Amino acid sequence: MKPFKYLSPTTVEEAISFYGQHSETAKYVAGGTDVIVKVKEGWIEPDFLISLKKITELSDLHKNEATGELSIGAAVTHATLEKSLMIRNEYPIIYDAVSNIGSLQIRNVGTIGGNLINAVPSADGAIPMIALDGVVLLHGPDGERSCAVKDLFVSPYKTILKPGEILKKITIPPQRPHTGSAYIKFGRRAAMELPLIGIGVLLTVEDDLETCTKARICLGVAAPTPMRAFEAEKLLVGKKINEDILRQAGETAADESKVRDSVRGKAWHRKEMIRVQVRRMGLACMEIIWNNN
Amino acid sequence: MSNYNVVGKRIPKLDAAQKAMGRAEYIQDIKLPGMLYGKILYSKYAHAKIIKIDISKAKALPGVHAVLTGNDVPEKMKMGFYKDNPPIKKGKVCSFRDEVAAVAAKTPEIAKKALGLIEIEYEELEGIFDPEKAMEKESPLVHEHSKSNVLNLPWKLHYGDVEKAQEEAAFVVEDRFTTTWVTHCCMGTSGAVALFDASDNLTIYTNTQIPSLAQKDFLESLKAMGLKNKRVRVIKPIIGGGFGSKLDTYAYEHIAILLAHKCRKPVKLIFDRMEEFTATSTRQPAIIDIKQGCDKDGKLLFRDIKMILDNGAHTSWGATTPSVMMMPITSLYRVDNVRYDAKCVYTNNTYSQAMRGYGNPQATFAIESSIDMLAEKAGIDPIEFRRINRNHPGDITPQGFKITTCGMDLCLDTVEKELRKTASNEKSVGIGIASLIHVGGGARIYKSDGCGAILKIDDYGKVDVFTGGTDMGQGLDNITAQIVAEELGLLVEDINVVHSDTDVCPWDVGAHASRSTFVAGNAALGAAKKVKAKLLEFGSEILDTPAESLVLRDRLIFVPNDPEKSMPIDKLLRKAHFSPGGTMLMADHFYDPANENLGKDFKGNMSMTYTFGVHGVRVKVDEETGKVQVLEYVAAHDVGQAINPLLLEGQVYGGVVMGLGYALSEEVVHQNGKNMNANFRDYKLFTAKDAVKITAYVFETPDEEGPFGAKGIGEPGCVPTAPAIANAIYDAVGVRITNLPITPEKVLAAIKEKKKRPLN
Repeated sequence: MKPFKYLSPTTVEEAISFYGQHSETAKYVAGGTDVIVKVKEGWIEPDFLISLKKITELSDLHKNEATGELSIGAAVTHATLEKSLMIRNEYPIIYDAVSNIGSLQIRNVGTIGGNLINAVPSADGAIPMIALDGVVLLHGPDGERSCAVKDLFVSPYKTILKPGEILKKITIPPQRPHTGSAYIKFGRRAAMELPLIGIGVLLTVEDDLETCTKARICLGVAAPTPMRAFEAEKLLVGKKINEDILRQAGETAADESKVRDSVRGKAWHRKEMIRVQVRRMGLACMEIIWNNN
Repeated sequence: MSNYNVVGKRIPKLDAAQKAMGRAEYIQDIKLPGMLYGKILYSKYAHAKIIKIDISKAKALPGVHAVLTGNDVPEKMKMGFYKDNPPIKKGKVCSFRDEVAAVAAKTPEIAKKALGLIEIEYEELEGIFDPEKAMEKESPLVHEHSKSNVLNLPWKLHYGDVEKAQEEAAFVVEDRFTTTWVTHCCMGTSGAVALFDASDNLTIYTNTQIPSLAQKDFLESLKAMGLKNKRVRVIKPIIGGGFGSKLDTYAYEHIAILLAHKCRKPVKLIFDRMEEFTATSTRQPAIIDIKQGCDKDGKLLFRDIKMILDNGAHTSWGATTPSVMMMPITSLYRVDNVRYDAKCVYTNNTYSQAMRGYGNPQATFAIESSIDMLAEKAGIDPIEFRRINRNHPGDITPQGFKITTCGMDLCLDTVEKELRKTASNEKSVGIGIASLIHVGGGARIYKSDGCGAILKIDDYGKVDVFTGGTDMGQGLDNITAQIVAEELGLLVEDINVVHSDTDVCPWDVGAHASRSTFVAGNAALGAAKKVKAKLLEFGSEILDTPAESLVLRDRLIFVPNDPEKSMPIDKLLRKAHFSPGGTMLMADHFYDPANENLGKDFKGNMSMTYTFGVHGVRVKVDEETGKVQVLEYVAAHDVGQAINPLLLEGQVYGGVVMGLGYALSEEVVHQNGKNMNANFRDYKLFTAKDAVKITAYVFETPDEEGPFGAKGIGEPGCVPTAPAIANAIYDAVGVRITNLPITPEKVLAAIKEKKKRPLN
């Protein structure tokens, strides 16, 4: 491993200024579960690692009860999210996703922001953030800007972040009543696993507890970046949710996906899993809605 | 119930705490003054000519002490079962794993950098990766000097008359089963530290299961290097897992020796995890065609098996796994007519080695899957079918194995009872069982199956046992201590077991074939018996009582029910020592079981005793995803006598989890000879979260020859797991998966095939 200097700024501004001094020779790091692996393997060779761990605002997790908006600091760990009762009760899709990332040790240090910025097609953390219409706040040398999580990803390992920019937080807009959400990571084993396919579904229904007003169907490992199955979502909106329509949505989502063969799994099987799991996750959403009513 | 004081007790592993606290010293922790770091450069191609190697830039890098290529390897320095594989290749590479150069440098970083500066010009050759294709005449040859890719290793036997039996059979089934590469996944990666003294004697610290045979290999290497009449001392640090992977010597060890000699400094060569995946040997993959038949009552009449084994580019012990596959093939259940023909074929893939079970899991997967198919065809319940054909004590199998004790009936009954406890009419839920036979009393593979032990006892009743046996994590140190403590009337904490150094420990053939408890246990027991006889003699003199009336127990020597005639053992020892013409007690013993080498037609009683077991499993199959969930697992084993039930159950649990990985998830993915998943993320080793509850039943069937009646149990746990799972899946959803691992993809594809719906 090439030696590096470790910098510990306490504010975002200080971090950006460090980056300004060292530019491309520096790399931001939060939990380090991706960055340190890359450094150890020699895939990247930064001279400086700028740690974001001491910037307290990045570790803030809170829900504004007045507006109903949820704010997740980029350096909030998977374990923090997993252990939060508020997350578990109100945002089950986040719980489903983060509680199955890597191992206990990885979840204790790995951060949600890092999971997004690493931008792998299999990022478990990305799917719920997209399904919940999350918005990221970026801060760089030129100031702040925002974008939807779904627009954050360009290609594997590449986001829209400009040099020196930091992901500060993810904001989740208020959830409407009668909303349910669920995620499944489908893999061969129960821990230390990359999903063969990751499927997140969010449904909002009218007071009749049947008619869909909003649908999000988000897929991981189904394309070079985490994706939404827009056609499948459209199919559900305005309809009464039942197993049949969810089955159709699964078919449509599978058609929309751009799955491919790899050493990890075959495309036909991934497609099949989208078909099955969109339906199952949809049903799980409905169960949550009914249980919460 | 036996009246043992130490044997049969659940005594936790003596080194568990130091391992858990990170105090145990592994090869990684060894650091010697002036030590250099070695690193190996591997081939860029599966099959290529080496046109030119330029090491000048690497040599010029500051901190580099030596750069070796194939030209620096003495002509006679060869490894492997065939002794035809040089540690660094010259002229040609036959697999991605082939070593092409090595460096020694001041730091691991410099060594790694130096590898990048070595310039090699290759001319790529056509590779051959499918063993069946490799057998075709027009296929490229992996080794031009041999006329065919098929090794001249005739694994062939025919007992009885298979053709005739087939004509007489009422029911016959036939199918092809395939198994792929899986790897040991030792938590401690491979490594060695080599150094020479001023007189060119070698000391090598290395992870090995075969200290004495490794010593011989290294002596031959020294001879090849022109160092005659030199000594080799092999020191084993604590080993982080063996599972058969350390039953040969490897390029990295011989390269460390060459580098240490060239640099006149200690050289440490440690594998990183990726190398551990790509450059160590796997379980032997097999293509198995099996045909079995029975009469109308379900009596097994014949078994006919043909196998093709992918030998990879070089030959290690993987090529000899048919010698052990013969055991289940000829002797699992009573079957008079058996034919077996296995061909090992060179390819440009990685080469295989021993791995827990040594061929038995592959053969048993085919046999036990096929047994279920045959039972179904004959219309007989699969458990009943096995009962009809089970082995019995006193049997002599067609291969000449003398079955002494056999608890297969007990195991079958228990597993059946456990599985039938839960009514099984739930949809997509099924049960499956499979049995096993394995050697349990040593295995005569070499000319000797022996092990030596030396025992000494001090003035305080503390014992040192120097054993040839190797503890690689399986707990042989505990077993040895318990056996010796039992025999000498001492406690387990009084016994110190030394197994780590060929300078002080006697010879042993190695920790293989589930033989250590039996053979090394008997060696230690033999030495303890000699010391015990002397203790009794002294006791008889000093306590003025016949030796026969004396008992050794709880650190005392005494006559039962006679409080006058009692003395602490340490006091007796001091009396013996500090008297005129005093003496101290020590003894040695070499135990070589009376088992036989396989002779003509591969016949012979290979082991003093055989061990049996039956595994049963209940699974639930998700018919929409193909995912298999193990709901219940029962493992029943016939063990002779459990020296330590805690460790024994541990062997069973560990074996089963290893077997579950083999059955359901593990595979080294090769594409044109290249390892595509050389990390734990993509190599699907079972995790703690995947492990299932395993109920282990241990049946004690004390064996006359075993130490306190014990049989070996190291390997059996992983032998019948895969077929038990495959049989349960068939019972659950009616699809028969014939190639491992049984992934959700394969199960779903089979379910779809069954439903005759097109894929996608």
